[in-house]
Amino acid sequence: MNQHPNQHKEHSAEVHIVSYREHASTFLALILLTVMTVTVSVFGADLYTLTVLTALAIASAKAVVVGLYFMHLKYDPKIYKAMMAVVLILFTVFLILTLIDYLIRP
Amino acid sequence: MDTTFVLPNSGHNRDDVSSKLGMWLFLFTELLLFGGLFLVYMVYRFIYHEAFLHASYDLNVWFGGVNTVVLLTSSMTVAMSITAMQKGDILLSKRLLWLTILAAGIFLVIKAFEWSAKFSHGLFPGMEHYSTLPNGERLFFFLYFFMTGLHALHVIVGAIILLVVINAIGKNRVRQDKYMFLENGGLYWHLVDLIWIYLFPLFYLIH
Repeated sequence: MNQHPNQHKEHSAEVHIVSYREHASTFLALILLTVMTVTVSVFGADLYTLTVLTALAIASAKAVVVGLYFMHLKYDPKIYKAMMAVVLILFTVFLILTLIDYLIRP
Repeated sequence: MDTTFVLPNSGHNRDDVSSKLGMWLFLFTELLLFGGLFLVYMVYRFIYHEAFLHASYDLNVWFGGVNTVVLLTSSMTVAMSITAMQKGDILLSKRLLWLTILAAGIFLVIKAFEWSAKFSHGLFPGMEHYSTLPNGERLFFFLYFFMTGLHALHVIVGAIILLVVINAIGKNRVRQDKYMFLENGGLYWHLVDLIWIYLFPLFYLIH
């Protein structure tokens, strides 16, 4: 990355600047995943459960890409990533508990 | 981040890591707000999955698909705007933010067309045709309007935040060595994109 020789050099060296090219590739990856999910949905309409699971899996892949690259989680201090993980685990617990409730209810 | 020592109360002390931490904490409350709605969706879809399947055919995949591309593009421009700011290219940074706001406008216009098509079919909760639908389909449209409506509200708020950021850049309150406001505004915008990433397949693509 091109560092600017200014008085802030000592701390700007710590910040990882994500390049335009990297953002553009991230965008391309996201568009590809979107095309994939639409294709699966439109042409795989008879594979009911498969399409739902595939759609959710692709959506989660997109969310991870947005989080890591656009939201800088990959290069930022680890604390944000750790907190995100806690929130996701919390939500998964809510999800599973609710699901169990409705699955075993007579 | 800024590690140079500054005297307390000198008017220059700030903590970028904590600033971003605060933003993330706020984003978590937003995630759980929408998370709760997704739980409601999951439960009703489990109970009425035939009706949900049937009702989802009334949504137009192309409206949703184009809006997905619009939001992904805007996410890229706001991320690039931060890169431009870090490299000291103020003008490019501002232009990219304007592009993001333009994308927010396009998103809302497409959404308005989509919603008005639903209104003309009488599918909004309380309308005549809506009242004649079976329970499951009514719930589907209720959730559809509530969740995409709440999301659209977030798009509007996100665009306003970015306008304030542009103003702050103009007044030199956001600059190459002090851009946390831009970065936090960007984080909010990415959240809007993240939520749409899940809304799109769950409402438009479930057939």
